[in-house]
Amino acid sequence: MKKERLYWILQLTGWSLYGLGSVLLYSFVQGQIPSGLIEGEIFQVSFYIISTHLLRVLIKRGKWISLPLGTLILRIALSIVILSISNYVFLLGVSFWLDTLNRQDFMAINAIISIIAPLSMYFLWSLTYMTLHYFQWYKKSLEYQAAFNEIELNYLKSQLNPHFIFNALNSIRALVGEDPDKCKEAITQLSNILRNSLILDKKRLISFSDEMRTVNDYLALETIRFEERLKTKFRFHPDSSQYNVPPMMIQTLVENAIKHGISNLTAGGVIDINTAVVDRSLIIQIKNSGKYKNGAKIKKTGTGHGLVNTKKRLELIYGDAASFKICNIENNTVLTEIKIPETF
Amino acid sequence: MRAIIIDDERLARKELNSLLEDYKEIEIIGEAVNAEDAEEKILKLNPDLIFLDIQMPGKTGFELLEGLDSVPKVIFTTAYDEYALKAFDYNALDYLLKPIQKDRLEDCMKKLLNEDEQAVSEEAGGEAKKLGANDQVFVKDGDRCWFVTLSNIRLFESDGNYIKVYFDNFKPMIHKSLNALDERLDDRTFFRASRKHIINLGWVETIEPWFNGGLMVQLKGGDKIEVSRRQAARFKDMMSL
Repeated sequence: MKKERLYWILQLTGWSLYGLGSVLLYSFVQGQIPSGLIEGEIFQVSFYIISTHLLRVLIKRGKWISLPLGTLILRIALSIVILSISNYVFLLGVSFWLDTLNRQDFMAINAIISIIAPLSMYFLWSLTYMTLHYFQWYKKSLEYQAAFNEIELNYLKSQLNPHFIFNALNSIRALVGEDPDKCKEAITQLSNILRNSLILDKKRLISFSDEMRTVNDYLALETIRFEERLKTKFRFHPDSSQYNVPPMMIQTLVENAIKHGISNLTAGGVIDINTAVVDRSLIIQIKNSGKYKNGAKIKKTGTGHGLVNTKKRLELIYGDAASFKICNIENNTVLTEIKIPETF
Repeated sequence: MRAIIIDDERLARKELNSLLEDYKEIEIIGEAVNAEDAEEKILKLNPDLIFLDIQMPGKTGFELLEGLDSVPKVIFTTAYDEYALKAFDYNALDYLLKPIQKDRLEDCMKKLLNEDEQAVSEEAGGEAKKLGANDQVFVKDGDRCWFVTLSNIRLFESDGNYIKVYFDNFKPMIHKSLNALDERLDDRTFFRASRKHIINLGWVETIEPWFNGGLMVQLKGGDKIEVSRRQAARFKDMMSL
């Protein structure tokens, strides 16, 4: 119980220091140690320790922390007023017992001072207690948020579409008889993709070139499937390879472009991938033949997760520094664009 | 059995073709590369069976079936399509997952050829273009799909641009006009009771005289349909000896 020990250390040393300070201050002002001062302070410090501990028990038992702020403040204010009054009554009792009680102690002005002084001490105690508590809670919630983001990120990581895997295997099977060399190549490409999708579980970012190798293998396999219906074009900025990208992110977008673009076109179409470097950010553009239907299609076929996930992933990894957009541009072409900042 | 393979991927068609070489009963009479192509070839070649891919460019396999008046036997072929296969939880039709397993194909073919033998013995010939009681139609409503044999349909009810098809506990809608459907149905089984209804005569339970010289027909299952005065005369003619 680290928390419990910290509390007791703070509680005991805090109040002891307070007692010591009062004695020293009093002696300094008076030039001597008045009789009964030390005993009085010992009683006072003990009372503070016990009473504030009682307050803590009350706060914990009653789960005051979870109360609305207004109610919490009201309760604490009320408690410290009651504690201050009982402190005064207790000190009167002690004085009576030590036989140092005199008439001055009952004067209204003295009574008020004797109540206000501990009130401010109780106030300081509550303030410290609550501040420490909130600080701890804040830290915990930050830790929780970080863990939560990690989990979400894992969940959002694009997975290979099973539809693609089985279609690819089916084409490969047909290739066995038709073109054994091409078939062998296809098996290597598919195993590269599978390997990368397994490795990606462990990595947050990979180099652009590594990602493009996967995309190339992927497109090669889809070309076997779609044959002359799929044409590809690449144009990369020479600095692209210095950038890192989330693994399988470009692959997912290219897969989307094929699934919703090319595969729906009887005559097929073109996938055009190009990159540019602007203001120390890598801009990746994927253009495909087809039309982007926002929302309408998403509900019907249960797709669209790919795009939403990509957006969320970028946000979780880069915050505002990355961006994502998809829109229709001229000649029945859909443009998907992501901007990725430099990472070190 | 004459069959057409419908798939947009050449290699997928080739693969299925080579798998079917072992089955002498199945004669591949054509291949289609998309739904449009398929529709044309189905009308022209009138196959007994189609192997149908679900995801294709243009129209999907489902949309193709929805557009056909009468559907041949269908075996779906799909790579992985949870969504599509879920639609058929309640149906006794067959589908093959690509890459196709030999055993699975064997089962599928056995079942198909057994059914075929029974069906042949029942078939009465009939007019080529009309739909008989043994023909099946494809009905899709939202996420669910059915192949329904016409003899199981007790009632068609028009509802705006749609027709409600009553069978078992279901009444899904199809996008068609009642007049167009009436022309395709066999008069000996289906009767146009009124502007809004076509009833299956095999399902009629009781007939009562009704106002204005009409009739009230109760079908097995409880649906009550009014036969208009004009149609009532025809109905009596048909039902009497």
